[in-house]
Amino acid sequence: MKNKISFHFYLMILPLVVLFFVLHTFPFLQGLFYSLTNWKGYGPWEFTGLHNYTQMFRDPKIAEAYLFTFKFTICATLLVNILSMSIACGLNAKIKLKNFLRAVYFLPYILGSLVVSYVFKQIFSNIIPVWAKALGIPALSVNILGTNHAWLGILFVTVWQSLAFNTIIYLSGLQSIDPDVYEAASIDGCTGFRTFRKITFPLIAPFFTINMVLCGKGFLMMFDQVLALTNGGPGTTTQTIAVLIYKRGFNGGQFAYQSANAAVLFFVVIGLSLFQMKFLERREKKYE
Amino acid sequence: MKKALFPVLVILALLSSACTKQSGAASGKVTLELFSTKPENQTTYQGLISAFHAENPDITINLSSPPEAGTVLRSRLTKNDIPDLIALGGDATYRELSSAGVLLDLSGQSFLDRINGSYQQMLYDLHADKSKTPYGVPYAANGSGILYNKDIFSQYNVALPETWDALLITAKAFKAAGVNPFLLTFANNWTTLPPWNSMAPVLAPADFGLDRAKGTTSFAGTHEKVLEQYIQILDLCGNDFMGTSYDDGNKAFAEGKAAMMINGNWSIAEFLKTNPGMKVDMLTFPSSNDKSKNTITSGVDVAFTVSAATKNKDAALKFIEFMTRPEISQRYIDEQFAFSAVKGVDQNNPTVQGVKETIAEGRVSDFVDHLYPAGFDLASILSAFALNYTNRMDNTQNIRETLQNCDTEYNALQ
Repeated sequence: MKNKISFHFYLMILPLVVLFFVLHTFPFLQGLFYSLTNWKGYGPWEFTGLHNYTQMFRDPKIAEAYLFTFKFTICATLLVNILSMSIACGLNAKIKLKNFLRAVYFLPYILGSLVVSYVFKQIFSNIIPVWAKALGIPALSVNILGTNHAWLGILFVTVWQSLAFNTIIYLSGLQSIDPDVYEAASIDGCTGFRTFRKITFPLIAPFFTINMVLCGKGFLMMFDQVLALTNGGPGTTTQTIAVLIYKRGFNGGQFAYQSANAAVLFFVVIGLSLFQMKFLERREKKYE
Repeated sequence: MKKALFPVLVILALLSSACTKQSGAASGKVTLELFSTKPENQTTYQGLISAFHAENPDITINLSSPPEAGTVLRSRLTKNDIPDLIALGGDATYRELSSAGVLLDLSGQSFLDRINGSYQQMLYDLHADKSKTPYGVPYAANGSGILYNKDIFSQYNVALPETWDALLITAKAFKAAGVNPFLLTFANNWTTLPPWNSMAPVLAPADFGLDRAKGTTSFAGTHEKVLEQYIQILDLCGNDFMGTSYDDGNKAFAEGKAAMMINGNWSIAEFLKTNPGMKVDMLTFPSSNDKSKNTITSGVDVAFTVSAATKNKDAALKFIEFMTRPEISQRYIDEQFAFSAVKGVDQNNPTVQGVKETIAEGRVSDFVDHLYPAGFDLASILSAFALNYTNRMDNTQNIRETLQNCDTEYNALQ
């Protein structure tokens, strides 16, 4: 009786397990099931086995979307982590208006990503070109979202908004470091960037891991910002996997086919997250 | 123990109440849902629905006209939650619904006699099996061509172009005078379609849609001329067309920032919102140098369909009967600048007089993109084509690659 976990604990998590299963796991299994059929989203259907999966590898649009999503994920993950770590270090230092600035940097997280994207869409199309023309900068005098560099516009908005949450995580990591460690280091003559490299960074390594994994997962499933800013255009140059699934799955009558695509994306995300965890946790251990 | 069970019971109760549907309304009264895929005509519908309610106090029609309606409709179909009445365009969505067996066969209904046969035929052409079963009642038609600012044309004393060469001369004259000849809004992908839809039916082989479906022809080899002329338009377009959105473009056009816009009658209401006094008219797109061959692009913009599974069939039919009365149809087209599919109802608004004659002569072609399969994303292909143009890709290479893209994408959908 002593070692047995009380029955009450199971009861407490039961509602959430039920909700999770009904709203998340069950639809996911349904999606997996339909990915083996030729269902259009309605009407009659039949089993087609793994046909959808083999077809995916012959579809140039899907390859293009995966390439773009990976490129975007790598750039966004690196930028977000470098910038948010710098901001967190700054906000953790003894500066004036510290609490006010922390609130300012957290603000983008509270705003909905669609709202932010629509505001930026307006800025890109109606404000920046006007200023650029007045200042005589030809490179910015057209709406960036209508050029080859549309993805940079999306990257900017996404990074700007993602910074907030990652900064908070790094900040909590920084606050968990015992000030005595810094004191000891400064007595030993360690200063500036060297302190960061030898002390701060190793001590917040677990937070680095979690941020990398969350970023990787989040950006692989990028959707809102792309849909609001460019809808995948111009052409299909900014079409992420999630946008492709949505557009072709619902508008293109490819429900089953895109379910297969979604299943593949799910395993790619899981695979990458596990890889990151393993790799980064091994790195964390070096410092223990 | 009982205390621990309480939260579980609450959750289960919530779940079960969410699952059970609200049961039907009070006796005698029926409530119908009218699902519309067209955001522009909401206010008009509301007005007509009120008139219908006044005549039929025991029927309530609820209008739902969500954004991205096509997508919403498809996702509702996946849940088997089909609206009683669906008002949709004669496009790929209609084709899928009609072939999926979710629409009621309306054969034998007297209101079908009021409908113009050529529009009914446009719906038949969309049926996967080409059957002449009336699953939908065509109600309003749209028209697409060139929208032009009358004041600018008269200010510069320019004649209305009726041939392709004349259009180029006109546009060049505007450009020389410092007026932007064409305003395009390709930040919204779909606006790349109207020029294609105007030129393709005239310049490409007549049976292209059918032959392409059979696989006996390809875009490459038949549509070069369309894209060559498309590039000539882009050459004369004076705004940041890749970065201008449809909304911003409509405002700019209404403010007189350009002479012409290549789009349809649905944009006119948007111009008048910005500038109620604007003098705008529509022009048949002069795709070729043979005036008699040029057509106005017109398709079924609104068709009423009834769900095969509806429990309120009689009320739904009553509503369609009401809507197809000539006086009601007149009210609809007057407010929407549309053309009526109901016989004997004429569009007399000055904003679309320029194409009235073309329509009367029967020089009308359907939107060719309605005949391509659903999921064939021509708008994205053309947007990539325009992007290549702004990147200064060689025109011949751009045309060749774009048409190859069309064929590859089309084949990928088979």
